[in-house]
Formats: sequence, structure tokens, C-alpha cells
Amino acid sequence: MKRRFTNLVLFFTLFVLAIPVNAQQFTVKGKVTTQEDGGPLPGVSVLIRNTTTGTVSDIDGNFSLNLPTGNETLSFSFIGFETQNIAVGNRSTINVVMRQDISQLSEVVVTAFGIEQDKKALGYAAQSIGAEAISRTKQANLVNSLQGQVAGVQVTNSGGAPGQSARIIIRGINSLDPSADNQPLFVVDGVPVDNSTIESSGTPRGLTNRVADINPNDIESMSVLKGAAATALYGVRAANGAVIITTKKGKEGQVRVDFASSVGFDEINQYPGFQNKYGQGFSGVYDPNSFWPAWGAPISEVAQTVDGHRYQDNWRGAMQTGVQIDNSVSISGGSEKATFYGSFGRLDQEGVIPFSDWDRTTAKLSGQIKVSEKFNFAGSINFSNSGGKRVPHDRFMERLVYWSETTDINDYIKPDGTMVSVGSNTNPLYDARFATYEDDVNRVIGNISFNYSPADWVTFSYRLGNDFYSDSRTEITPGPKGIDGEQALSATGFLEETRINSRDLTSNFYVTLKKQFNDDWNTTLRFGNDVFERKFDRLTSRGENFVIPEFYNLSNTSQIFANQGKSIRRLVGFYGDLMVDYKNLLFLNITGRNDISSTLPKDNNSFFYPSVNLGYVFSESVSLPSWITFGKLRASWAQVGKDTNPHILGATYSSPNVFPLNGQVGFTRFSRFGDPMLRPEQTTSLEFGTQLAFFDNKIGLDVTYYKSNAKDQIIPVPVSDATGFSSYVTNAGEIQNDGIEIVLNATPIKRGDFRWDVTANLSMNNNEIKSIREGIDEIVLGSQFGYVGSTVTMKLVEGQAYGNIYGSSYQRYYANGTPEGLQVLDRNRPQIIGANGFPLRNANQLILGNAVPKWFGGLRNQFSYKSFDLSMLIDFRTNVEQYNQFDNFLSAFGIAKYTENREESIVFDGVLADGSANNQEVWLGQGVGPDGRNYGAGFYRNTYRGVSENFVQDASFIKLRNITLAYNLSPDLLEKTPFRTARFSVAANNIILYTPWDGFDPESFSAGAGGNAIGFTGLGFPGVQSVFFTLNLGL
Amino acid sequence: MKLINIFKISLGVAIISMATSCETYLDVNENPNNPQDAPISGLMTNATYETSLNVYRIGSITSNYVQYLASPNPGTSSDIMEPINYSGTWFSLYDVMTDLTDLIRKAEESGANHHLGAGKVLMALNLGMTVDIWGSVPYSEGFNFTSVTPVYDNDQQLYTEILSLLDQAIANLSGPTSISIGGDDFIFNGNVSKWIKFANMLKARNLLHTSGSASYNPNEVLTALSNGFTANADDAKVDFFEQRFNPWAQIAINNQNLLLGGWISTQFIEALDGTSYPASDPRLPLMVGRTNAGQFVGVENGAGRGNAPESGARSTLIPGQFYTSTQSPVLIATFAEQKFIEAEAAFASDKGRAYQAYLDGISAHMQMLGVSSVAQQAYLQDPSVSMGEANFTIDAVFKEKWVALFLHPETWNDARRFDYGYKDMTTPQNLNPALNGQFIRRLAYPDSEVSRNGKNVPEVTLLDRIWWDQ
Repeated sequence: MKRRFTNLVLFFTLFVLAIPVNAQQFTVKGKVTTQEDGGPLPGVSVLIRNTTTGTVSDIDGNFSLNLPTGNETLSFSFIGFETQNIAVGNRSTINVVMRQDISQLSEVVVTAFGIEQDKKALGYAAQSIGAEAISRTKQANLVNSLQGQVAGVQVTNSGGAPGQSARIIIRGINSLDPSADNQPLFVVDGVPVDNSTIESSGTPRGLTNRVADINPNDIESMSVLKGAAATALYGVRAANGAVIITTKKGKEGQVRVDFASSVGFDEINQYPGFQNKYGQGFSGVYDPNSFWPAWGAPISEVAQTVDGHRYQDNWRGAMQTGVQIDNSVSISGGSEKATFYGSFGRLDQEGVIPFSDWDRTTAKLSGQIKVSEKFNFAGSINFSNSGGKRVPHDRFMERLVYWSETTDINDYIKPDGTMVSVGSNTNPLYDARFATYEDDVNRVIGNISFNYSPADWVTFSYRLGNDFYSDSRTEITPGPKGIDGEQALSATGFLEETRINSRDLTSNFYVTLKKQFNDDWNTTLRFGNDVFERKFDRLTSRGENFVIPEFYNLSNTSQIFANQGKSIRRLVGFYGDLMVDYKNLLFLNITGRNDISSTLPKDNNSFFYPSVNLGYVFSESVSLPSWITFGKLRASWAQVGKDTNPHILGATYSSPNVFPLNGQVGFTRFSRFGDPMLRPEQTTSLEFGTQLAFFDNKIGLDVTYYKSNAKDQIIPVPVSDATGFSSYVTNAGEIQNDGIEIVLNATPIKRGDFRWDVTANLSMNNNEIKSIREGIDEIVLGSQFGYVGSTVTMKLVEGQAYGNIYGSSYQRYYANGTPEGLQVLDRNRPQIIGANGFPLRNANQLILGNAVPKWFGGLRNQFSYKSFDLSMLIDFRTNVEQYNQFDNFLSAFGIAKYTENREESIVFDGVLADGSANNQEVWLGQGVGPDGRNYGAGFYRNTYRGVSENFVQDASFIKLRNITLAYNLSPDLLEKTPFRTARFSVAANNIILYTPWDGFDPESFSAGAGGNAIGFTGLGFPGVQSVFFTLNLGL
Repeated sequence: MKLINIFKISLGVAIISMATSCETYLDVNENPNNPQDAPISGLMTNATYETSLNVYRIGSITSNYVQYLASPNPGTSSDIMEPINYSGTWFSLYDVMTDLTDLIRKAEESGANHHLGAGKVLMALNLGMTVDIWGSVPYSEGFNFTSVTPVYDNDQQLYTEILSLLDQAIANLSGPTSISIGGDDFIFNGNVSKWIKFANMLKARNLLHTSGSASYNPNEVLTALSNGFTANADDAKVDFFEQRFNPWAQIAINNQNLLLGGWISTQFIEALDGTSYPASDPRLPLMVGRTNAGQFVGVENGAGRGNAPESGARSTLIPGQFYTSTQSPVLIATFAEQKFIEAEAAFASDKGRAYQAYLDGISAHMQMLGVSSVAQQAYLQDPSVSMGEANFTIDAVFKEKWVALFLHPETWNDARRFDYGYKDMTTPQNLNPALNGQFIRRLAYPDSEVSRNGKNVPEVTLLDRIWWDQ
């Protein structure tokens, strides 16, 4: 009943209020503003409570109302905002600050094609976050601002480098293709934009996902469309879901200027445990020229004879405090006829690893013009320039491992500019400074659109979008300077110039027909056509061997190699979408889309897929206990087809990069063969959910169950090289994801000026690889190095889940012998100890863990009291393991804290091969032990580092992702200033990390956002914690 | 409703015109990076180049087994004969054989008989190398995607195929051709008579492998040799390039930059420096580097370098020598090797011819390295080298062939036929315990095959011998 009342209220505000009312005694005036930015809010209905008498606020937010007595209570309401009831109490002026309604009920969700829909009418789960929730996270990368905020959405920061990519996965991974991009489609103001991450070809440098080119300050809201039903209209490109981004627009009324300025400081948030007792050398013997950083004698012993010999704490010493400065200014406004929004933004970021930086400059202009009641058009152009110096973080961290614990790492350069090295190791700081890689991206995203309504039941809409970028990269590794005795970074040196040009064009035309049959039946039909094209070109020239040292130009190199890769992909889609609304309580939505893709064989390139979803607001038709405010059930079934990458069909020949040689160009048969009969992939998904509200909307609950099956997957099946190819791209295999998402909103306290809001989300996902292809046992996703056979591999195996990590382990005791076909390591079984007293290694590859978290979620608490507000975002993930490559290195080099026990003798816990208890005491150190036995390189090098099991570790965490305390200058203070709003806030990110993981922040992983080998943390750029000070001013 | 009708008509027209223009609009999937077809000369270029690299790749695997090289680190898998996953080498061999399949087909279609013959020679060579290290491998169902999981053919039958390919090749090369080979051939630069000699030499090499089998007939070897190489100038090799360095040179350069590799085994040093044999070999300083102290010091296989630093204290490959200059050739088959084949094949029937061939083999290799004639004479006249026909043993042939085929994969075939009977050669330190104190006899099938073609991969251990090694 309450909903109906609200609708009635709205109805009356629009049409009835013009009716003059009875003789008035008392006049109240005031201004309605928004809490968010202090701007005026026009169109707010102001009613005398429990009557239909009232007015609406004007374009400047002002209202004036005559009252019979002056003791009435006024009710202020506006869609998307909380209704406020205020007793007049004979005051003649009442200023009202409207607060955005965060309860899910009145949420407006931007769905496909930027269509705004009341969440109530949706037959599928959708969640969105607004400008404040985005900007509060202080994330330079827009993708990161979704972290922990949306159910079913897992965002992983690939590392702490400035501008480093972040990966987003919605409802699990849906492809068996190791190189598939499983991330959702990003759509900005109706235009799909590129979010690819193009990693460096050599050592990892932590490059950027392209959505990070967007200035988060320009964003009004982000909606996440999760299932196939929600994304059906977007077709193949949104098969992994879609993130619909709406940018800020100008509003009718006075011109507004907003400034935001913020400065932040980064530190590494967690280090592995390091031992600081033993220094350079091997076998417990100090040697200042040793390659070995920490297998030497105790530092305190050597210090007695060697002057200045001490633990240098190079791990912390090599790092610096990162700084980021973010400034932006926007100007917006407009009249009834036209609105505009323009902004500039500049972000400068310096990383915690010295010599790493990234910056972004953005400029945006958008406008909308209402030519007549029937015709309006809008356009937007967004320019950005981004890029920076990308340090070779893997190499940096690896070389830190080798660097002598007792030699200052910051003493890395000689006066002649050559490197200071120890034990012939390369100094990582010298390398980071001189072996450079810089990118420079210029990008323009623009769109132009119009709507024409010749009659009130029909609208023609058209939008043309463009996303163009050029990425210019230069990699330099210097050769020798020609100075006697120098240790150069490379014997030849090289220069690699990469030029990438990418252009996306989208065209979307559709017709909307609306028909109201009677009071009960409302229908909307949309149909249209969608065209997409991406052209991509990458050109690389590499020159080696500088003729003149330190002169970096290709023509100064004696060997030049060039390489080019081009592609073009085109898609044409036709679609229809029928929405039926019965009595505002039953909502039916049917869609159909036919895509034609250039990437598939001509006979199979056209494919149709339907979807249907139904929402039923049972609280409107069934009588429920009064504490249930709202209840809705929803169900959907959807299919979505999927094409493939361009240019993969059939057999081709390629010319290896090495040619031309002697003027000859060689050719070889390309090792990939694309099935000429390839068919589109098909994903079928099913979703059920309910949306409930209790206790007068104080508590909201949304629960969703989903299941999706991706069949006929287009995957490069690895085949025997003897077939003439190494991979065969064909339809094979099926992968299934199912899970539950829960979103809970509550306002536990709302008393006077104090308010406490809670939003929580929890997600669980199950994944199973149902089949691959007959005769093919596994698909390798990737592997990562570990010493002496501890290399781990991520493999897809039928019947198993995505994300399993395989590797070597300690042998386990089974009374009746190891079972046949054992696949999973049972860590609880006793280890088998060998005759030498040390645990035995099992080289058979067993499943040691899974890198896809089973459970993850987030919790936001928000408190506000008068001018202060405090918010906290906590997120977590659990049931997840990763390979800690760092730990593998740290154990091999005697740096890990636990290797401090190297002078102890212990009895390993376990049993002998016959099952009897082990009681042999062994020494853990190197060389001859106290028992006179020669232990060679010692336990950690002989045994420990070679067992993958030791390094596949629990990577669960709980993080205080963000905490923000803000002070908003109150309106009465503001009146004395030229400002409309002023806000000062202090925020901290990742200051609490709770994890069993011994190492740098386990969130980082090596593969970058585009890769799927997420189980490998590698020697990635360490994660950071940050503190920000932000000032927002509005004029 | 009129408006609706106009709308319907215009929409219909739009859809029809779109559907037709759609087809051409969407017809953009032809690969802009890779052509659909390749010229026969391009295949020839890549096949000759990659074949030389395959010889290097296998040589880099077997050089530790035959103790030319040793790892600077203790217990390295390659030294101690552990199973190692050589998926990359397997791929390279099949990649070349795939290209050769295309080359042979195209040559047949166009009557390019010389390309056809050369293609078959290279096919025989690559297939032979593959069989020699792995035994039974896929072939009959290979290369043309006839099966996703091609069967493994019996290694002995594959030897019949290899010899047949060489016979066909000789016939093809001896006739006329529609297209001549030229600069696209990195091995002989289009010299067809050298290709014919090479085919005969390979025939002799493969027949010799069967020396332990019942079917072995040394006269067949000698017959083939009579049409083989006649001088060092006939050697099958690829000279490397200014833009692309010889792979052994690259190893030497990398080692100099402390990416350790190319360290010399004590076995090799001691065989040449006068320790194991009385004569000090003048070739040693031309093949490997000295320590900072000017000495030749090796590393014992499996033991590692001990406390020696990364450079300066042990002998390694060093840039700029015969095998390790940036533009040095990778040797595929040499006249010197052929002389040692002759020595072994003639040993039983004509010991005098065998003895002379043995001495000729040494001189051929010394000339190749550029040993001064004085030093050559001194070495050849040392009584331990020129022991006279009466004291001449087959062991001497194997020892000198071992030296002359430095870094070449053929030595592992010899070593297995010779039961690793080289003087003073012992199993490495820290030997893989699964070998029960014996030397390795074959490579393990690569992981890529086990995971992609598992049901066809034979179950073998590293001690299972391939067919000719009996």
C-alpha cells in the first residue's frame, strides 16, 4: 500500500498541485538541497503530511507554501531520495537537505542501453553504486572502486604499481580458453569501451587496464549487470556481464564549479618475515664476494672483525613512500533547453618502488540540447593521456633476493655512472632506473546521440560511439658504456619501440514503442540494430647493439627486427525487447537478439538467442504481516551466444620474426588450426531471486541464486604437435558456474542527527569443468617457476574446478599404499620420513589448492552525525590458495624468517615408510653438523625449496579496504563563504590486512588483469596501504 | 496507422539492403598477419634454418650425457640423467617435419624435384634424430591433422621409412626439376650434387646405427659412403648470421654475462689435456676457454663447481672460437664424421682402410678447426694416436669421433652403441637413483604428449633401449 501511496503522491505533485487551496494563514519558505553536493534540488514534492496539499521546489530548489496554521508537518519527497517529515513549528524558513535513499527499494538502475529502470521492475539481479561510493574509495583505477561493493563481483588488484591493472570477474569464469578475457563489457554513456590490458612482452611491468583512463571524478554511477538476462541486449560482447557507467551531466539551473583535490601517501602494507641474523656467504662462512646473500655466518659474529658489517634491511631500504596527487575541476550547468558538463583532471602517482610512476590527464565535455519537445540530442567527448615509467617489478624483487643482506642497496652507482654490484649480482635499483619501459596513451572516447519522438508513443533513438587510442611504448636496456671493468645490464643493449592503434566504432539505432492498454496493462517494445567494429594494429621495432653507447635511436643499432599484428572484428546485431507491466506488480520481459559476427565461418556466423524474465511483487497482492514492507520474487532464463577472436579460422603460414636472413624470408605452418566449421558458443543461465524489505524499509534483503552453463566452448584445444599443429580451435567442452549472492541493507539507528547505515554483500561461487574433449585430459593455464621441481601448474581437468594448482608435495603415508589415481593432496596425513631423517618428496603432480575464492564479500558501515560522516568498507575472500613464489626464493636463499632455525637439530614429525614413527634427529644447517654428518647445502636447499606444497598457501584475507572520515561545512557557515559546499576528508586504504599469508599482500598476482593464471603471485609489485587527504569545494 | 505502414516498409527495405551489404561488410576475417599459403622457397629457407637449430637443440641435451659439458651446479637434472620435459624440442622437430610435409607436397605438385629431394633428405634427418632420442614416435598419422591423437609408429619401421626417404631423395635430386634451389637453401645454397652426397652420407650414418642388430651389413654402409662427401667443403652446415648469432656463441656470450651455461666437463678436458691419454691435443685451446690462471679445468658431471666462482676458475665455451663465433656454422654432418663411419664399417673387413679413414678423420677435423700443420703432424705422429694398424682398436675410432663431433647429437648414438665405453667415463655424481647406477638410454616422452596424446604414448623408463641399441 505504501508503494501505491508514493505513486499517488508523485501523480499529484505533477498534476493536481496547481489547484488553488483554501484561505491561508501562514507562509513557509525554504530551499531544498542535496546532501551529496549541496546543489539545489528542483521538483521535490512538498506536501502537508497526510493531505494532497502542497507544492514542488523550483529550479533553484526554492519553495514557498501557505499553511492553515503553521503547526503542520511537511513531507519532502523525491524519487531516489529519502522522504523527510519535518514539523513546521511556526518557523517561516525551513531549509531541507535531501539524502540519497540507499535502501534498494527506490533504487533506479541503469540497464542496457542506458535505460533507467526502477529496480522493482527487474526480473534479474542488478546492483549499482553512486558517485560518492566511487570517489570515497580513492582509487585511481575505476575498476578498483567496485572492490567489495557489489555481490558476485570479484575485483583483484594485480599489484601496487602506479597505474597497474585490476581484474574484474562477475559470477565466475565462463571459458576454458586459457587466453580468454573473462572480464565484463564496460559501457560508458551507452558506448562500449575497451578495457584490455596489453602487458609488456618481456619481463612483467604491470601495465594498465584501459578503463583506468577514465577519471573516476567524472562518474555519476556504475551499474553491474551480472547475468545473461541483464545483458541480453548487449549481445556477445557482454557474455561475461556488463558494467554500465553513467557520467555526470549538467543540471538545469545555475552554473556550478566543483573542485576536488587530494594528496595520498603509499607504503607497502605487509612484508614477508625476514631473518636478520645471518649475512652474506655460504655454508655458514662469511664471504664478501659470495653470490649468496644470507647463507653466511651470523652477522653479529662477523661484525666483530669486519667494520660496518651489519644487517642493512634492504627490503625496506629499497622502497620509498609513494605519493599521489589528484586534482580535478568540473563546471556544469544549463537551462531548460540545454545542459553541459566539462571537466579537467590530473593525477600524478609515484610508486613505492623507486623510479615507477604513472600519470593521467583527462578532459571531458558533454552537453545535451532539447531542440523541441520532440527532439533532443546529446554529445560527449572525453580525452585522456596516460602513461608512466614501468619498473620491471618481477626482476626488481628477484634481484632483491640475491642482494647481500649486509651491503647497502642504495649504494648502487659509481661516479662514472656504472653499476656497483656484489657477488656479480645486478643491483635492482640500478636496473629499475636505467632499464626503462615507458608508455604514453592518447585516447578519445566520444559519442553523439539523438532521440526523436514524433508522437508520445514512439521514439527513435540513435547513438554513434567511438573509442580510439594510440599507445606508444619505448623500452630501453642500455648496453655497455665502454668503461673498463663495468658490469653492464646487457652485453648488447636494446631499444624496442611499440606502437599500438586501436579504434572501436559502435552504432546503435532503436525504436521504442509504448502502449498503455488500460490502467492495468503497460507495454514497451524496443527493437533495433547494433553495429560494432574494432580495428587494431600493433607495430614493434627492436634494435639491438648500440653503435654509440647511450644514444637511443633505432638507427643507432646494428640489428633491427620488426613485427606487425593487425586485426579487425565486426559485429552486426538485431534485437527486440518487450516489457509488459501488469498492475505494477507483475513484470514480464522478453528479449531476442540475433548477432552476425565476422569472426565465425560464413555458414555459422549468424545466431539467435532469447531471454525471458519475470518479476512478481507479491507484497502488492498478498496480505503479509505488517513488518514485511515489500516483497518480490524474480526468475529469469537466458541464452547468450558468443563468437570468437578474429582471424583464427583454417590453417595459415607465418614468417618467424628472425627473418629476413641473407635476404630470404622463411615460412612455417602456423601452429594453430581453426576449425572451419566453428559454431558460436552458447551460454544458458538461470536465475532466481527475491527482494524483501522489513520494518518500514529499515532492513532490505536481496538473495539470488544463479547457474550458468557455457557449452560448445570455442577453445584452443592443445593437440599433439605431431598432428601438424599445436592447438586446434574448436567447439569443445562445457563449464558450469552456480552460486548465491546475498545483499543486506539496514539502517540500525536513525535518531536525530545520528544515522548508521549498513550494506553487506556475500557471494559464493561453485565452478566445475563438465567436459573438455575426448582424448584431451587437461588444458594448461600456465605454470610458474619454483626451485628444483617445485614449479607449479594451473590446469583445467574434467570434473575439477577452475583454478586448481598442481605441484610436488611431501610423500604421505597410506597404510595400504597410495591409492590409485590420487589427485588431491591430503595435508592431514602423516609425512613419510626417509632413511636420512628428512621428509621425502613426491614429484607426482597433485592438487595443492585452488586460486578462485569460494566465498567473498564486503561490508560497508556508514555513520553520520551533523556535519561529520564516517564510513568503513571491509572486504574479504576465503577458501583460496595461491603459489607464493617469493617464499620459494626466500627459503632457497636463506632469507625467510623460518630459516633462522638453521643451526637447530630436530626430529621431523612423520612416519617411516613402514608406518613406524620417525625418531632420527637431523641438523637443519649446511655443511658438517654438530653430529659430524655432512648435510651439504642443508635442509632448506636440499628439501624444503623443492616441495611446491610448502609454497601453495592460504591466500584468504580480510581487509579494511577503506575508512573515510569527512567534515562537511554546515550551510550556515557556508553562507559566509563564496562556496556552495565544502568538505574535507581523511581516508585510509588497506591499513588493516588480516591474512594467514606470509608475504606481501596476497591480492597481487603475476598475470595482470587480462590473464587467467591467477594462482601465481610471482614476484609481483607489492601491494600498498595509503592515506589520503581530500578537499572538495563547490561554487 | 499510416505512419506505421510507412515505417514498416522503410524498415523492411532497410533490413533487406542491410542483409546484402552485411555480407560484404562482415567479410573481413581473412588473416591479415598470416598468409593462407607459403612459397616453396620460404618453406625451404625455414626448414634448412630450423633443421640446423634442431641439431643444436638435441646437441644441447646430449652434450651433458656424453660429458662434453657439465652443469656448474650440483645435481642438475641434465647432468644426473633425470627425466626432463623436452616438450620444446619435440615441438621444434615436429614443426620442421610438418613444414617439410608441405614442402614435399608442393614440390610434388609443381614438379620441383630438387626441392622434393632436399625435402625428403631433411625429413629423413629430422625423423632420424627424433627416433634416435625417443624411439617410437608418431609419423604415419602425423602432420596432416588426420587424427587429433596420432598413433606412435614402431621405431624399427620408422628406420625403414628413413632409408626409403633417402633413396627416393637421391632419385629425385638426380633428375630434372621445374624450379631450381638457390639462396633459399641455407645448407648448400642450391648445390644439388652436395645434396646427393649428403643423402648418401646420412644413409651411411643411419645404417651404422643398426650395427648391433641382425640386419646390419657394413658393406651397405661402405657403398653409401662411396657416394658421400669427398672433402670438408661438402659438409652439411648452416653458417650463422650477423643478425642471428650461432646458438653456441649465444651460450658463450650469456655465460660471460653470468647466465651460466657451456661449462666443460672434466671428462672432456682430461681426454684432451694429456691426463687420460698420453698425447696432448692441440685442438683443446681452439674449442674451449682457459681459466684466469691459463689452465684447462673442467667440472665433474653432477658434482657442480664446488666453491669456484661464477667465472674465471673453470673452462667454458668462450665467444669467438670455432664453435662459438657469432657467425660460426652449426654443423649437421661433416666429412670428418663420415671418415669415422668408414673406419668403423671397414674395421672388420679391411682394417687397413679403417686405420687410414681414422687418421683422415682426425686430420679433417683438425683442418676444420684450423690447427697448424706442425701441430697436426705432431699429434698425428704421436704413437698413442698413430698406433699402427696392428694396435689400432675400435675404441680409438670412438674416442676420436667423440672429439671430432664436439657438441653434436650423433655422439649420444655412438655412446649408446659403445655402451659409454669411453676411457675413464663414469656415471655422474648424484646419478638419478632410478637408473640403478646405469647410464641413460633414451629421453622420457615430453609432458605435452602425455597430456595431449596420453593414450598413445608408450610406457617407458629411461633404461629402455630403442630398437637399434641392443
